[in-house]
Amino acid sequence: MNPTLIEVESVSKSFWIPDEPRHTIREHVMAGFAPRPRRRLPVLDSVSLQLRKGEALGVMGANGCGKSTLLKLICGIYLPDEGTITTNAAITPILDLGVGWNPELDAVDNVYLIGGLMGLSLQEIARSLDAILDFAELRPFARMHLKHFSSGMAARLAYAVAFQAVREVLVLDEVLAVGDAGFKQRCEARYREIRAAGHTTLVVSHEPYIIRAFCDRALMLRDGRIVAEGTASDVADEYLASLVKTG
Amino acid sequence: MPLSSNSIGLAWTLVRTDFKTRFHGTFSGFVWALLKPAAMFLVLMSVFSFLFKDPAYKLQLVVGLFLWDFFAEGTKNGLAALHSKSFLFRKLRVPLWILVVAAIANPFITLAVFTVVIVLFLTAVGQAPSLAAIGLFTLYCLALALIVVGFSLATSVLFLKYRDLNQVWDMVTQAGFFLAPIIYPLGIVPEKFHFYFYIWPPTPIIEFSRTVLVSGHAPSLLANVYLLLEVAVVLAIGTYILKRMGPRAAELV
Repeated sequence: MNPTLIEVESVSKSFWIPDEPRHTIREHVMAGFAPRPRRRLPVLDSVSLQLRKGEALGVMGANGCGKSTLLKLICGIYLPDEGTITTNAAITPILDLGVGWNPELDAVDNVYLIGGLMGLSLQEIARSLDAILDFAELRPFARMHLKHFSSGMAARLAYAVAFQAVREVLVLDEVLAVGDAGFKQRCEARYREIRAAGHTTLVVSHEPYIIRAFCDRALMLRDGRIVAEGTASDVADEYLASLVKTG
Repeated sequence: MPLSSNSIGLAWTLVRTDFKTRFHGTFSGFVWALLKPAAMFLVLMSVFSFLFKDPAYKLQLVVGLFLWDFFAEGTKNGLAALHSKSFLFRKLRVPLWILVVAAIANPFITLAVFTVVIVLFLTAVGQAPSLAAIGLFTLYCLALALIVVGFSLATSVLFLKYRDLNQVWDMVTQAGFFLAPIIYPLGIVPEKFHFYFYIWPPTPIIEFSRTVLVSGHAPSLLANVYLLLEVAVVLAIGTYILKRMGPRAAELV
């Protein structure tokens, strides 16, 4: 059996919504530093999962069910309130496309910026610069400022950098559907290459087609709890059935 | 991310791209960046030549003002560093300290240019500082940079929770300007109070820098050890606060 790369054990997470907002030192002083009343908004409740090397796990669920929070916990962006998350591999999160890019810089500088933020070294970026620009079909526009790019061109560049930055585990949040049909096909082909190279993936999507096509198994969240777990196909069917029930 | 080649590479990219954006990536923009502190130095020296007859006082004032300007500008940028880049650590796992250090790079470049300008000026007027004096002054500038980093590590993450901290910090720096012996010599203060003035971190840096550059002496070993200790304390407090509050930074914005 392949080794476990990510283990989530009984993780719970809540956000606290203060009844009375207090954002400044002045407000804290005026209130005498007294604890303020706040409501608990539970987002995840005792969630457990395991991700083994080479696996592709899909996470499905309606809006607000805790999918993105789960990914942020796994990526180390949030801390769990309860439970533990053990990661035994480097994670590349793609929770949004083009996080950190600067419209005042050209494509090459943005590749360095986004690549660096995603954990690539300067040498790795320099080595893969041509491959990134070719994948994004932006070599003729390498020295054009990003503010002059169309949204599709910018998304292609972001994808190209992100796919180059993949370490051992790739975490994707609803970002497998940009660009025209041709670019989408190349993204899917690249994703399959990443899988074939033995990378482990965790994919969040509302789209049953994506979960079925790209994941081995999946789980479904509802109100912060895992309500279904199984093969990607079964969970996608269950998700569709739940939409019919609630719809 | 500990101090690795990747984190240094990221810090360098952030500084380089910020610099490029600020000066539109042109050669003339780069020249302007260098010219600004040089022009400021000349303007201050010209104005002070009219106002003050003592040449040593003029130089001491200019050295104090440039060091203070770096402290004030650096801590102001550092305080806002995480808030202005919150879109990064809400979506990526970026080491927060890199964002803070990158934010103070620009004022540090200004200080570096000033260092070159003042050494050239002193050489031109026949008071060329020795290599040891230049080396010590560079070390004091680095010590001030570490103090700015220490303050900024703490204030940047506290600012996410207390959104009027920038106003409070403005008042602190205004009072701090007069607490540090910039426009007055520390000698006019009774010696028994000097210790309290030295607690304010910019004070020893300004005093020691003037001693090596203008007076041509080196501060005592004990004085340098005290400064080192002060730098270590400020950095340790900053690191502690960032380590404590940093893991929940994405939830604070």
